[in-house]
Amino acid sequence: MSGEDLRVSYGEGSGDGRLRVVIVGGGTSGWMCAAALARLLPTRCAVHLVESEAIGIVGVGEATLPHIRAFNERLGIREADFMSWTRGTFKLGIEFRDWGRIGDSYIHPFGTFGRGQGEIDFHHYWMRMREAGHAVPPLERFSLACTMARENRFALPGTDPRRLSATFGYAYQFDAVLFAPYLRRLAEGLGAQRSEGRVVGVDRDGQSGDIRAVVLDDGRRIEGDLFVDCSGFRSLLLGEALGEPFQDWSRWLPADRAAAMPCRTATALTPYTSAIAMPAGWRWRIPLQHRTGNGYVYSSAFVSDDEAAGALARSVEGEAMAEPRLLRFRAGRRERSWVNNCIAIGLASGFLEPLESTSIYLVQQAITALLELFPERRVAPSDRDEFNRIIDLEYDRIRDFLILHYHATERDDSAFWNYVRTMTIPDSLAEKMELWRRRGRIVKYREGVFLDASWVAVYCGQRVLPHGHDPRADLPAADSLLRGMAALEAEVADTAAAMPDHLAYIARHCAQAAAA
Amino acid sequence: MAAIDRPLGLDGPVREVVVAGSGITAWSAAAALRRRLPWLSVTILPDEPAPDALADLIGSTLPSAIGFHDDLGLSEGDAVVRTGSGLRLGTVFAGWTAQADYVHAYGEHGRPVGAASFHQHWVRAAQAGRATPFDRHSPAAALARAGRFMRPDAQPGALLAGYEFGLHIDPDAYRAMLRAFALHIGVGERRGRIVDVRRRPDGFVAGLALDDGGEVGGDLFVDATGAAARLRGALDERWDDWSRWLPCDRVLLAAGPAPSTPAPLDRVTAHDAGWRWRVDAPRGSSSGVAYASASMDEAAARGLLPADAGEPLLVTVSPGTRPQPWLRNCVAIGDAATRLEPLEWCNLHLAHSAIDRIVAMLPGRDCAPVELAEYNRQCAAEAARVRDFVALHYIASDRPGPFWQAVAAVDPPPTLALTLTQFRERGRLPVHEEETFARDSWLAVLLGQGVLPRRVDPLIATVPLERFERAMADLRAAIDAAVAPVPAYPAFLQSLAQQVAR
Repeated sequence: MSGEDLRVSYGEGSGDGRLRVVIVGGGTSGWMCAAALARLLPTRCAVHLVESEAIGIVGVGEATLPHIRAFNERLGIREADFMSWTRGTFKLGIEFRDWGRIGDSYIHPFGTFGRGQGEIDFHHYWMRMREAGHAVPPLERFSLACTMARENRFALPGTDPRRLSATFGYAYQFDAVLFAPYLRRLAEGLGAQRSEGRVVGVDRDGQSGDIRAVVLDDGRRIEGDLFVDCSGFRSLLLGEALGEPFQDWSRWLPADRAAAMPCRTATALTPYTSAIAMPAGWRWRIPLQHRTGNGYVYSSAFVSDDEAAGALARSVEGEAMAEPRLLRFRAGRRERSWVNNCIAIGLASGFLEPLESTSIYLVQQAITALLELFPERRVAPSDRDEFNRIIDLEYDRIRDFLILHYHATERDDSAFWNYVRTMTIPDSLAEKMELWRRRGRIVKYREGVFLDASWVAVYCGQRVLPHGHDPRADLPAADSLLRGMAALEAEVADTAAAMPDHLAYIARHCAQAAAA
Repeated sequence: MAAIDRPLGLDGPVREVVVAGSGITAWSAAAALRRRLPWLSVTILPDEPAPDALADLIGSTLPSAIGFHDDLGLSEGDAVVRTGSGLRLGTVFAGWTAQADYVHAYGEHGRPVGAASFHQHWVRAAQAGRATPFDRHSPAAALARAGRFMRPDAQPGALLAGYEFGLHIDPDAYRAMLRAFALHIGVGERRGRIVDVRRRPDGFVAGLALDDGGEVGGDLFVDATGAAARLRGALDERWDDWSRWLPCDRVLLAAGPAPSTPAPLDRVTAHDAGWRWRVDAPRGSSSGVAYASASMDEAAARGLLPADAGEPLLVTVSPGTRPQPWLRNCVAIGDAATRLEPLEWCNLHLAHSAIDRIVAMLPGRDCAPVELAEYNRQCAAEAARVRDFVALHYIASDRPGPFWQAVAAVDPPPTLALTLTQFRERGRLPVHEEETFARDSWLAVLLGQGVLPRRVDPLIATVPLERFERAMADLRAAIDAAVAPVPAYPAFLQSLAQQVAR
């Protein structure tokens, strides 16, 4: 170990011993970061956020993962309050339509299949019966989350881990354009400062390379000790000023554009997000209380912008509420997210398409890591390296999971699908798939966002079925296993049927919030 | 079981397993495979005992041994009481640093305060010079020091809950029990000495030739023959050497008379060139000396054994591991896979863990490389972290003298370096895959040996130090009050024996 690097030193601090944190960019990631720092480290930092109303926020990350609840809780955000502010809905998973084959549909749930069976996962029993030629129902009939989603029902999960009602989790679908102002109000109430302006210059220390200040279009200089780059795709500080190289993953994730267009909600308010495969990518459908978000994520190598916008406009279910808006991006991440005294969070650090709703999750993980590794006067290399290790691991594991969705297909109806079906995938994913194909085994990790059930859902949902299963699943007698499965299926159905309708649940939930 | 006969589509299922070895490890493997994968035909070749297999010789186990029994369906009465075994709550480490001795027990130390873990607050108090020893906040450590024992309270949130305990076994009696159990559930025993490992043209093991002229064939061969690795060693010699981090290459083991008072706490004391131990198990005490032969001769090491110790057995240890314990149709377990000194009693644990993994990941007869790679990845990660934990005791020592100075000066392996850097900087313990020891165990050793983080979690600044000090004092008082009425350990053993006899 090389001892501590004392090379990087800062100026004056805020004068009261707190570090001056300058956040550049005021979208979801910027205000999440500002609110978290202001709430949780009030004695360690003074937060100053710079944003320009002239720059729009991307705000497509409207569907989230269950982790968001822990974030809100730490910030003291009450669920009902949050739901009414952001016109939010509940999310039990993602429906994938037309991925394995056109006409297919499966749900990747926030929950497990079956009930705890000891050390052998339920899917092994399911595969055994299937291989033996029994007419077993689809896997999702053994998942409470999937069944609730299909029937548009919602209730909070139970707390007794032995009960079926505790086998699912949930997240939110919400209007990101409303979330940022909500967080802003919170952050400013906690003392975060905000400046309006566009960053036109970055002043760096000639020797250390550290950022000393950002310069705004009206000539103001905002000095700081630590700079958080939340400037979105542009990556103003980390990418442009510090020149951190970008690791390009577009050979595996070729989608590089999205057309986004909200519409009125015409159908039921589903407690899930939909990801519908399209000829050159996929389309999201995110139901909110007041509208439905739609977007077509596509590869410009396979379809023109006009064609894509047209295809999106034709496919949305309700009356359009705006013209399609175009977004450009590239899949990949910066080699490092934390360089010198600059930390990039969210799109400024990397981009993975929102296929599995990971955008806000990645923001949240970066904020959590920053809170834990928050520097003193100077940046300790060990803190910076640990932050980068954590974030890289998150990106890399999500990357493989996303690639699986494209690669595990039988579709040969367009040049796009022919490409992703036959492309060379990363070795790390190829090994995972081979292990699954042989005996239905999932590579287990303690860390990483998508656990066993997620992989099982996608594999089975996209017709990648193993040749064999765990031989221990052969031990129970077939008839007792079939009886057990039938009883479980019935219990799942009954439990879901006893739950309130999603819309009714929200109405009650938000009415309570308004009353309180 | 008709379902087994269905073609797998790739290769046939494993049906016949041959286990080579005669110690606890071999009998554990044979019993577990037969019991948990009951369609297997399991044959054991006991051959002659391996004189140097620490997994078969060490009498203290980690808590995982009990889970291993549960999975076999072995009752506590059969596995523990009738074998004269004892229960152990932890180990007291003396002389590893200039600090007071410390207890490593298997359970929680304090409870989280607000958003931050207990140890962060404790470190802040320690930095201010106002902390009482970390192990004073562990109920299990308090029980162990007081020589008392009770099972962890089943009530969640109770004070005397949240800990585990391991076993003191009498290796001979324990092996005899396992053997009887294995034979009872249908393991076949084939007598004879292995004289040759017969190979197929593709390199797989075809069978083992015996000195009586017979040959034993099978689909899968489990090598539990100790350091000699007589099967697996015939396939390749690849080996990762750990000797620069684990300096002891000799272990003396000696049995002693039954103690006047059995103790649930083992004693491990550092000496000039290694460490020695004393275990007061119910049926007999045992002791040992681990040392580096370059720094100490055998006579001096013998001199460190207690006066009541019998004639010791000398074992040579070359610490390290096979990067691929499983190659083709041959899997090495125990000392045939990984060798390390017995500090923290990990040898049998690694063997049990390998057996569990074979059960969970049993491949087909072709032993496909992709399946073995995942098995080997998990084994390697687990072994590396056990190595790290053992090495930590040396690296975090401040003892004077050439042996200790030399080992403290070695660069730690990368995974341990990450742990040490993150802990020394700010008390963090990054998650590693396949970790054997829980966070509280790492904390017990790190803080017990005086490794103090430079900074604490910034999130705890909102809790005033005085408030936490009061909470710590309250916790200690509550632990003392809870421990006082618990029966003495010998009394607990007695009542356990009576329950089983009934």
